[in-house]
Amino acid sequence: MFRILSKSLKTGVVTKADPFESRPPLGFPVIDFARCTACEECAHACPTGAIALAAPAADRRQLSLSYAACIQCRECVAACPEQVVASGRDVEVAAYTREQLTQTASFDLDGMGRARFTHMEAQAGPGLEESAARLRERIRGLLGRSLHVREVDAGSCNGCELEITATTNPVFDLERFGIHFVASPRHADLLLVTGPVTRNMEIALRRTYEAAPEPRVVVAVGACGCSGGIFGEGTYASIGGVDRVVPVDVYVPGCPPRPQAILNGLLVAMGVREARLNPKAPAASPEPAVTPSPARPRARGVDEG
Amino acid sequence: MTAARDVLRDRLALETLAELRPGEFVAEVPLSGLPETADRAMAAGLRLASLFGSDEGPGGGFAVHHLWAATGPPGFVRVWAPVARDAPRFPSIAAKYPVANWFEREIMDYFGLVPEGHPNRSRVALHDDWPENVWPLRKDFDDRQVVPRVGGQSRPYRPVIGEGVFHVPVGPVHAGIIEPGHFRFGVAGEPILYLQVRLFYAHEGTEKRFERLPWRHGLFLAESISGDTSVGHALAFAHAIERLVGVEPPPRARHLRVVLLELERVYNHVADIAGIATDVAFTVPAARAQILREGLVTMQERLFGSRLLRGTIALGGVKCDLTLGRRREILLDLEGLQREFDDLVTLLIDSGNFTDRVDGTGILPNQVARDFGVVGLAGRASGLDLDLRRDQPHDAYSGLHFVVPLEEGGDVRARFMMRAREVELSLVILRHVLEDMPEGRVRSALPDALPPSSSALGWAEGWRGECLHWVQTDGEGRLRRVKVTDPSFKNWQGLAHAVPGNILPDFPVINKSFNLSYSGNDL
Ligand code: SF4
Ligand code: SF4
Repeated sequence: MFRILSKSLKTGVVTKADPFESRPPLGFPVIDFARCTACEECAHACPTGAIALAAPAADRRQLSLSYAACIQCRECVAACPEQVVASGRDVEVAAYTREQLTQTASFDLDGMGRARFTHMEAQAGPGLEESAARLRERIRGLLGRSLHVREVDAGSCNGCELEITATTNPVFDLERFGIHFVASPRHADLLLVTGPVTRNMEIALRRTYEAAPEPRVVVAVGACGCSGGIFGEGTYASIGGVDRVVPVDVYVPGCPPRPQAILNGLLVAMGVREARLNPKAPAASPEPAVTPSPARPRARGVDEG
Repeated sequence: MTAARDVLRDRLALETLAELRPGEFVAEVPLSGLPETADRAMAAGLRLASLFGSDEGPGGGFAVHHLWAATGPPGFVRVWAPVARDAPRFPSIAAKYPVANWFEREIMDYFGLVPEGHPNRSRVALHDDWPENVWPLRKDFDDRQVVPRVGGQSRPYRPVIGEGVFHVPVGPVHAGIIEPGHFRFGVAGEPILYLQVRLFYAHEGTEKRFERLPWRHGLFLAESISGDTSVGHALAFAHAIERLVGVEPPPRARHLRVVLLELERVYNHVADIAGIATDVAFTVPAARAQILREGLVTMQERLFGSRLLRGTIALGGVKCDLTLGRRREILLDLEGLQREFDDLVTLLIDSGNFTDRVDGTGILPNQVARDFGVVGLAGRASGLDLDLRRDQPHDAYSGLHFVVPLEEGGDVRARFMMRAREVELSLVILRHVLEDMPEGRVRSALPDALPPSSSALGWAEGWRGECLHWVQTDGEGRLRRVKVTDPSFKNWQGLAHAVPGNILPDFPVINKSFNLSYSGNDL
């Protein structure tokens, strides 16, 4: 007993005051489209199809990069002959839609078949500043409600589970922000779902969703949860992203996302939930543009299944 | 090396045995010869490391492969037999050798080949709502399709009869943050009479996916077979491809691979010690172990850009390097870890509260472990002295001398102690390879294409046990079949036999002490 006490006293506080402070060396890739020649090397190198080239017309090209499917393998960085693909430092990415995770650059082909960049389309998602602000408000006690989370592994490789588990360790300690993992979907405000949804987990995921009380919020975690990732979408075994089975409110890409990214996603989801609980009241933080998921007919409970 | 080949050929009484590459032997026998060869292999002390099917595609038949592991002389012997397309059957060996039980049923489910004489010919991998006569690993099955669900229940659970005796169903969605699986306990009050394990909820179609992806991209799929074993499976796949094309990684890469594999072992073992402590409600050491684990993965992110060591292994070498400064940094970090870790282990085993819960809990007897082919840490905790790092060394392990720790108890304590002792050993190995790192390149170039119509086996001793990848190419050099054998596949059956006789509240800690992968099993 004494040993345990003395150990605890000597250890001091290991919890990080600001979980977002540390930046990783390598994040999602960033393409400098203005210098890109649409040569397609990166798309060939990409194992998940996160980069794709399309030809909407004979003299036009479109290159799109989707973080939803990106596993941060950096093959595109190595493959680019123009050296315009770099590893960015962004990892704490969250979005309300898959589209917000995609950038599409358009190119015109000149007479010689060379591509010239014309414009880019991208939709802004929630920024990290927003989550940081929400986090500060939580810490100051302005956002009272706690958040009960039910984790559902719908077929992941368990990498995402390792990082979700890490959010509860003494260094990140999610509990201090009022975020608790609960054992039953009936107690949950939010479902945190990983994996490409497998054929064999589809029904279990649906039932878990239906068992969670309204207004439930769904967060899809990982490249697999956002898009099927390396396992693909629409195969006999992997249905793909979580949104193929239940409505998703927040996407947290990465393979796996760091614990900080998962925390960020949960903070964004808290905003969604606040907005859904008080549709009229001014939101305590910048109101996210969310459309509540369509109310589904309440199915009979899991217990009967 | 031909001496080894001759010894193995005579032991198995085979007419011919070819040595494909060092440590890799192959023989073709007629279907009827599979059981006899199995008898001889078992009698000669070989162990069944894997058993799988393959489909030669249009115009060809199927094949059933028995993969045997020998230790003296060391080597993997693949004994295979062709199966005609119009006679989709093969003789089962499961009645005599339980290790073959799931393997043979998996072939039945995925290829539609009937294991004749198997004592239990019900499905193991396909769920009840999968239709009859649809076999996903056959070549004529297109993976881009939605297979309709069918009604009915083909596999009822074993009934329980008697007063106060009932079923407790658990999963596939569990109460904690763990992978999906279904456990059906037959209990009499608290004591567990038996446990039925139904898995394959996390069947992502991995083996089929390997056949669709360009072979170079298979490496990323291998990293996602089991997220906690990225290095182990990436290495096994890389070894298979490197052996197939005949390319050796440079010496420095072979050393760095040992660093990566041992770091993976250490962070997982430390995390599992946290898990075991949590499951016996001993929160202070659990928190301490979690802090240590977090420190390790943070270090890994700093050094390699990935907390879970993703993207570190390359085909032909590694994608990372460690300068002298970085190596000193790790050595310093590990020194700190060692002190903390020793304290932690002492704290746990000196505590009566802890030993009360783990001593004699979840015993996996040596003979049962042997019968089910249990491998790795769980096998060694039951006295099975197996470790590919020593028995069939890959990468820089051939130049290292070490004693593989072994425990006899087979209980939760033994599996806990194995982890503690393996961490100690890993730290010794790490120190050695970090201090003695050869100079030079970290990656060898690979040819543009794989040789057509060939096959190779790759292996690595991951933290949980042996990871085996057998790859086969078709006439155009594409991957025709990748058979992945994760240690969990064999160990799940062992776990099911370690549970009966214990009380239900002890199941979580027994389960944690094995910490098997669902995704690695379900593929
Ligand atoms: S880093 Fe992402 S976008 Fe680039 S190749 Fe890998 S998965 Fe594709
Ligand atoms: S996103 Fe990556 S870590 Fe998460 S389940 Fe998929 S493969 Fe595993």
